[in-house]
Formats: sequence, C-alpha cells, structure tokens
Amino acid sequence: MTEFMLKRRHVLMGMTATTLGGLALPGGLRAQDATPKRGGTLRISHTTRIATLNVLNLSGPAEYPVVDMLYSGLTRIGLDSMAHPDLAERWEATPDATEFTFFLREGLTFHDGSPCTAEDVVATYEAILNPDVPAAARSVLSMIDKIEAVDPLTVRFHLSTPFADLPFSTAHANARILSRAALAAPLTELDTKANGTGPFKLETYDSARILRMVRNDNYYQPDKPYLDAVEMLLFPDLAAESANFLSGATDVMLTVQQAEYARIAAAAGIEAQRVASGRYVCVVMRQDQKPWDDVRVRKALALATDRDLLVEVILEGLGRPAYDSLVAPELEYATEKPVIPYDPDGARKLLAEAGYPDGLKVELVASDRPAIRVQTAIALQQSAAAGGFDINIVTMPHDTYLAEVWMKGAFYIGYWGMQPTIDSTYKLLLTSDGSYQDTEWKNAEFDSLIAEGSATTDPAKRAEIYARVQEMELADTPYVVPFFEDVLTANSDKTFGWTVAPISRYYYTEDVWLDRG
Amino acid sequence: MTLAYVLRRLGAIIVVLAIVTIAVFGITVVLPGNAAVMILGEHATPESLAAMERQLGLNQPVLTQYLNWVGGVLHGDFGMSLRLSLPVSQVVGEAFRNSLSLALLALVTVTAVAIPLGVIAALRRGTIWDLMIGLFSYVGTAMPEFVTATLLLIIFASPEWPVLPAGGFVPPGEDLVGYLRHAILPAATLGLILMAHISRQVRSEMSEVLSSDFIRAARLKGIRERRVIWRHALPNSLAPAVAVISLDIGYLLGGIIVVEEIFAWPGLGRLLIYALQNRDLPVIQAVTLLLAVVYALSNLVADLVIAWLDPRVHHA
Amino acid sequence: MREILRNPAGLVGSVLLVIVLAAAVLGPFVAPYDPQQFHAASRLQGPSAAFWLGTDQYGRDLLSRLLNGAPATVLFGLGATALGVGAGSIIGVVAGVAGGRVDSVIMRVLDGLLAMPELLFTLLIVTFLGGGTSQAMLAVAVTFTPGMARIARSAVLSVRTRDYVQAAIARGESRAWIVGREVLPNALGPIIVEATIRVSFAIMIGATLGFLGLGAQPPSTEWGLMVAEARQFMFRNPWCVAVPGVAIAVTAMGFNLFGDALRDAFDPRRRRI
Repeated sequence: MTEFMLKRRHVLMGMTATTLGGLALPGGLRAQDATPKRGGTLRISHTTRIATLNVLNLSGPAEYPVVDMLYSGLTRIGLDSMAHPDLAERWEATPDATEFTFFLREGLTFHDGSPCTAEDVVATYEAILNPDVPAAARSVLSMIDKIEAVDPLTVRFHLSTPFADLPFSTAHANARILSRAALAAPLTELDTKANGTGPFKLETYDSARILRMVRNDNYYQPDKPYLDAVEMLLFPDLAAESANFLSGATDVMLTVQQAEYARIAAAAGIEAQRVASGRYVCVVMRQDQKPWDDVRVRKALALATDRDLLVEVILEGLGRPAYDSLVAPELEYATEKPVIPYDPDGARKLLAEAGYPDGLKVELVASDRPAIRVQTAIALQQSAAAGGFDINIVTMPHDTYLAEVWMKGAFYIGYWGMQPTIDSTYKLLLTSDGSYQDTEWKNAEFDSLIAEGSATTDPAKRAEIYARVQEMELADTPYVVPFFEDVLTANSDKTFGWTVAPISRYYYTEDVWLDRG
Repeated sequence: MTLAYVLRRLGAIIVVLAIVTIAVFGITVVLPGNAAVMILGEHATPESLAAMERQLGLNQPVLTQYLNWVGGVLHGDFGMSLRLSLPVSQVVGEAFRNSLSLALLALVTVTAVAIPLGVIAALRRGTIWDLMIGLFSYVGTAMPEFVTATLLLIIFASPEWPVLPAGGFVPPGEDLVGYLRHAILPAATLGLILMAHISRQVRSEMSEVLSSDFIRAARLKGIRERRVIWRHALPNSLAPAVAVISLDIGYLLGGIIVVEEIFAWPGLGRLLIYALQNRDLPVIQAVTLLLAVVYALSNLVADLVIAWLDPRVHHA
Repeated sequence: MREILRNPAGLVGSVLLVIVLAAAVLGPFVAPYDPQQFHAASRLQGPSAAFWLGTDQYGRDLLSRLLNGAPATVLFGLGATALGVGAGSIIGVVAGVAGGRVDSVIMRVLDGLLAMPELLFTLLIVTFLGGGTSQAMLAVAVTFTPGMARIARSAVLSVRTRDYVQAAIARGESRAWIVGREVLPNALGPIIVEATIRVSFAIMIGATLGFLGLGAQPPSTEWGLMVAEARQFMFRNPWCVAVPGVAIAVTAMGFNLFGDALRDAFDPRRRRI
C-alpha cells in the first residue's frame, strides 16, 4: 500500500489536539490575547426541544450541539469546512481511494471509563449500515463494503466504490462513535442516555426544560474542556429567550432569528455572530414533465427571481444572493458563479421562446415549516410576476408536505443545510442516484464526472472535474437557488471562543471559556 | 336526581370517550404520513423510514396498535411519546399541572370580579356603570384570545418597556414571584373574555330576578333592599351563573390552547399542538381524553350544583 | 328593523355591520394598492400619507390587505354558520317532528358530540382535514351542528303543542304540509337569532384557526393569518398586528350586538330588561 495522505488546504495531517475552533474565531483575536480561564457553567439558550439524544438519527437544531459535546467521531469538520482528526489522530488511503485506514489515539475512554477501541468503531459503523436501524448517516457511508478492526487502535474501511471524501463522511454529525455495550442494549436507550467520548458527560436530561453536562476529565485533548459544565436551557418562546439572554441570565443564544438580529447585535455586552453558510432554499422544478422540462422556462424563472429583494426581505440582509448553484463558496473546489441579474423582460422573452407568449400559470407548493419556505414562495410570486409567471401558492402542513409533495411534486420549495463537500452536495440532490433526487434532471455525463471526482485523489485533477460539473449545473439550471442563509448566533462578551461552523452542527465547546470578571 | 342518574351520566361519558379515542386513532392512521416521517423529516430514506416505523411499532396492523394502546390504558399505562422519548403519563401529567394552575388562576380571579360586576350592572341599570360594564363585556366577548393576547403583549411586554415577561414559564416551586409574573398576561387574556361573558350573564339573570313577582312581593312586604338582594335575588341568579361558569370551562379548555401557544406556557394546549404537528399519536390521545374527561365531569358537577341550588330543575 | 334600531346596542351593531359589509363588498375595489405588492423600501412602517395604516414586513399596504381580506373573513363567518345552522336545523327538525326512538337516538349522539370542548373539537377536525379555508369552514360548521340541532329541536317541540298545529292535525293535513307551513315558519325565529350570534363566533374561530396556521394559508389576506404572519414583527411595528386584530373584534362585535338586538326584538319579554 502506497502511503498517501489526502492533502487539504490549511490542514496539518496527524496533528493531535488542534484547537479546531481556534482557527477562525470571530472573537478569535480576543481569544488569543488572553489566556483561557478554567471553570464556570456555560448556559446556552434554545427554543426547539431536545426531543432525543439518539445520535444515530437525531436532527433537531438544539440536538446537534449536544451530541457534539457528548460524542466524538473519527473525524470532525472544522471552521474551515475541512475534515480534521478527532478520535482518529490520522488516516491513510490507497491511491485508488477504495481502502482507508484510521489510526485511533491511544488511551481513549468512554464516559463510563471503559476503553474506546477499534471494536467500538466497527460496531458503530455496522449499526449505521444496518438497514434495520434508522441511521441518518447511512446515505453518505453506503459505499462502505466492509469494516475491520486491524488491531485495537486501527480500523480499516473497504469501499465498494472509490470515495476520496470518506474522512468527510466519517465526520457526519450522526456518525459519532458509540460503545459496543450501548449498541448491544436496546437502541431506544440511546434516546435518553449517552456514553460518549466527547468533552462533556451527560448529567441531567429533562426534555421539557434543561439538559446539563459536566466536564469529562478524561477528554483526549489535554487541559480541555475549560468549562466545568454546560447547560442547555429550553425557552419555549423567542421573546422570553432573547429577554433572558439580554439580561445576562444566559451566556449564549444558540440561534438568533433574522428579525431580532439587529436589536441583539446592538445591545451592550453582546457579541452577535454572522457566519456565512451554505444553507439554502431551492426551488424544485420537476423536469420529466411540462413546463419545467424546457431549460428556457427554468432560465426564465431564474431571471425573474430578484435575489437582492429576497435577501433583503426574507433574510433581513443576513445572507448572500446565490446564483442557482447548490455549491457554497466555502466549499473546496467551489468556482466563482456569475451574477444572474433580475431581468423580468428577459424572462418574458425566454418564456415566449419556450411557447408561453402570454406567460405561464403554475402552482408552487410550500410547507408551513420552517416559515422561510412560505416567505420565499410569497417573495418569489411577487418577483416573478413581472417576468410573466403567474404563481399560485399552495401552503400545506409539514406532515402532508412530507408525505405527498416532497420528492413527488412538480414545483415546490426545498430547504437544505450545508454539506461538507461538492461531492456530498451533488449526491444529495442532483446525481441520478442522489439520496433525495427530486428534479429528474438526470445527466449521465454529470454522474460519471461526479464518480470520477470522488475516485480521484489528485487535487488538481479534482479541481478540474469539479469546475466542469459546476459549469454543467449552471448551464442547465436544474434548481433555482436564490440565496444562502447566514448562521446567526450570539454570546455575551464574557464568553470566549463560542462559535459555529459554517456547516453548523459543529460547535467546539471544549474551546469555550468564561471570564465573568 | 338520584345516584342512578349520576351513574347513567358517567356511563354516557365513558361511551363518548371510547368513541373519541377510536375516532382520533382511526383518522390519524388514515392521514398521510406518521410520526416516523416527522422524526426523520427530509433525512428519510425508504429503508430508514421502514426501520423507524418498526422501532415505533407503526408497522403493526392498525387494530393491533389500537388494542395494544387500549390494553395499556386500562392498566394505567399510556405508553411512550413517539417524539419526546418520555412516558406519556409524565409528559401529559406535567403539562396538565401547568394548565390547571393557569386555568384556576383565571377562573378564580374572574369569578371574584365578574359576579360583583354583573350585580352592580343589574342594580345600577341604565347608569354609566351599567353602560361601561356592558361595553366592556361586548368588547371582551368579541375579541378572540389571540387578539387580546397580542394587544396585551404590545402594551406590557415590548422590549423597550417590558413590564411583564412576553412568555415562558417558571415552576412555582422554584420561584413563586417569577411564576406569577409569567402567569399574569396569559391569565388576563383568558380572564378578559370570561369576565365579559360571566358578568353579562349575571347581569341579565339578576335583572330578570329583580323584576320578578316574588322580589316585588318581598319589597312590598317592606323587607330592606340590601336583604332583598343578598337573601333573595342573588341566590336565585346564582344557579344560572354556575351554569355559565361550567359552560365557560369548556371555553377555557379551548382558549387555553391558543393562550398557551402564544405565551409559550408549557401546558396541555401547547403540548397538543406539538403532538398534532409531530403526529405523536399516544400524546394526542392522552391530551384529548384528558380534556374531554375534565369537560364532561365539570358539566356533570355543574348540573348537580344547579339541581342543588334550584330544586325546580328536574332530571328526566 | 325599527325595533332593533331603537335599541342603542342594536343601533351600534347595525352601524358596525353596515361598515363591515360595505368593506366586504367594496373593499377590494377601493383598496389603494394591490394587497400583495411589495414596497421593499417602506417595510414595517406606521401610518403615513402613502400608507394610511402602515405596512407589513414585506412592505405591503395594510389598508389594502385589510380591505381585501374583508370579504374572505365575513364570508367565512356567514358560510360556516349557514352550513352549521342548515345541517343542525334539519337534524333538529327531524328529531323534533319524528319524536320517539329516532329523537332519542339523535339526541344521544348530539349529547356525545357536545361532550367535547368546542375549540378542541374544531381543532381536531381541521387538523385531520388538513388545514385551509374550506376545511376550517367545514370544521366550524360541524362544531356548530349539534348545538343548532338542539335549539331547532326545542323550537319545534315548543311549536308542536301550539293550537294552530293541533288544529292542522285535527284537520287531517299531511305531515309534510304541517311541517312546511306551520312548524317551520314559527320555529324559524329562535334559529335566526341564534345564527346571527353564531356568525360572530364563526368569525372569531376562523380567525383563530388562521392564526394557528390551520385556516387560511399565505398569501391570503384573511385577518387572523395577517396577525400570525406579522407576530414576529409586532414590536417593530405594532400596526401590523393591531390593524387586523381590531378589525376582527369590530366585525365580531357588530354581529354580536345585532344578534342580541334581534333576539330582544323577537322576544318581547326580554326587552324590558
């Protein structure tokens, strides 16, 4: 086996105990100036329930930070949106990217004191790949053919198809390492119990009010975490949450609403953070039927979308216009996308060419949750009217939407979080075998380029391939993507090192410290 | 009015409850989507969905699911919440306590204020007092809870001048003052409408009694006015007031859904909406049952009280 | 009608109703702007010369939205009530006229339905129907039906023993004739009075459902939905919740006052009070 390491920008491979969060902190300057203080309880407020702690399938906005504190994965995504070592201190891959070997740190233990070894990693991945277990990470790990424990500290993955981005997949928020014992017990126990390897240990969990975690003295990063404890406080209401945060009753407001951001950012003693992210709304146009099978109609809608208006009205300016590519500028190999101007006359012209000289009447479905979908539909209706689109909005409850429209409807509003790589972004929605392929755009050349990209380990070659697929996406406009939404969070000025990765779901709470002075 | 009557009413209540559970169950099962769909959301794949359904027991035949549930309930076990990984009895019990404390707070305050208001309006008929109380009651009954609540929020809870918290909850055991501060606006919202309703009823009943023959007779006999009102008029208008209050418990059970949602009060109403949105059937069932039981029992108690206050009422 | 206008409450109610009905009929034609049009430069503003009642979070003119929402809101109240009253009256009249076993079975079922708190009942029905204006209307109608059936039945029962009905029976008139010509017209009074008051409830419940996201759906200009959509912004511009909120209250109050006055006019005994 030729030794080879996946070269990444900004990453020193095999470097242990890197402060992931310290790389690009908004409050980083301050954090570097001062020496971290030990002790204290960090109080984080949130408004969505922590309904479960089951790391295999949870997906709640307040559940992600909790599992990020309780558990660790083989790898973890950093603020630079790259894969970094976590429980694995380094990894190797064969040049054809079909075999990966991860080397675990020595002396890892779970919170109950039992050692964390290669056997636990194998058991975890086998559970994730078991079709009888509901596991959210399976779709990004399905290329794993076999996984073996070479020795207590070495795990080897054999892949059925080449996949150079495996270290990104192993960083999936739902692919954290569980103990063999926990996996042998009934899996429903994972809902309320947690025996992980993360920087904090679960102390109390009351899904109606509070979740409290305390310092894990045996965390693999020496001297970390700085905090004695972290409390996740559920506020049933946004107004109550912000009032408590502004009065100093909590230290961190996990998520700030766009409508409130300006007020909170202006408050004394508060640091509000805007993290540019690749979270996007997309307009789904099903292309195996009229009218969306015609690229001119899709391009017409793209021209009739006033992206600046949408960013202003829906996001209160807290986001960036996107130009119909799912690929966020933060991702490795992302290309610069040309601006698509708001051009209703051009849209009308294209519609006329496509055979709709009198405009086009369409029905746009939007789920009622989260509200951003309906807001986008309303703004799009207004913006596109000038371009000849007569959009009738159908709003429906989320359960009906999931059961009847999602993956089936002809024209509806999608909403997705940022993915860690170009490969995972496209495999989510655009490749013919994409997990949630809902446009029937299906392009064989695109598919084979994506496959080639993930089988190639040469960065220059990958850059070339990914530039080509992004070009293809822009040429065909399979989705209208009007904007990328920023991730918004806030902390008191006595809290240091708090931040969120652009991809969200990763929080680096082990680097946070308090100085209530 | 006999024991047999009470037993027959209780029997009818049980039949109604059984029908309610079947209806809620049947319809929830027929609807597209289920709790597994909601838990996995847009991360679902056909196989993970199937696995989740197996884990939640949603893959069993509908009848089996229902009978399992009924069997559990008959043994006092309401099962596990599908969404919250907690026993239903715990989730619902806690919410019930919070709702009850809010409803009682509203009801007691309202009764203490509304009955005197109604009496004053009836006694001072045609005066400015009567007019103002009347106006208040008309405005009060015409405002849906969400409008009252929103207006109260703008006045008392704006970020610039927050007199009271805009929402949320503090357990009374932890901080009684905090609890009351959080309870004032939701209780006031529920109270305003009840107050308007009850005071209007008391006024109209009282007016009717005051102009009745036997009060006129009492006055003619030279009994002092104060005594006429307190010993004769008021007791006779109380039975209808009790009837109204019992009807208002039905209103209260509905109103509390909206008020809890707006003020983020962690009670039954908010829980019901959460459970409906997440298709958490065991929780929906338990909350619906509980609300229906409370309503039916309060109706029964009210009928008994009315019969006791007013022996003229006979039950066939 | 003169009876109603002489009563001060009736007068106020009539005036409010005229205003609301005028808005419902003419509103969409006199609205100064397209109710859906964005004015991105003037978001969340208070009243001004350009926007008499201010603007919402998209910069849409609140007055225009209010006027456009009037027909939807009023029609919802009238429609739901008409459906509920219609169904309820038919059931009640059948029960009252048929009597005997049919009557007692119908009454048992009605008692059962009445054992659910009203808003909870509506909420469950509309959740299961899937939300939307017509579903909400149907849900409110279903909720109204048992109560209306009881009122209709008791009205029929009280008419049935009257002399003119007894006379018709003695004359050997057919049952249909008696119901159609004697019973129904005389039982109609209480039904109409109840229906008028119910309209205000229907409007309030409809708006509440809209507020909870279970009734009218965006971008509808239904008033309850307007409050719900603007709630997040209520502290930045109180007008965008206050305007539709007050409009709902005024409309409900109009029907309420008018209904009360109507009842007094029908029932002379109560007028003294």
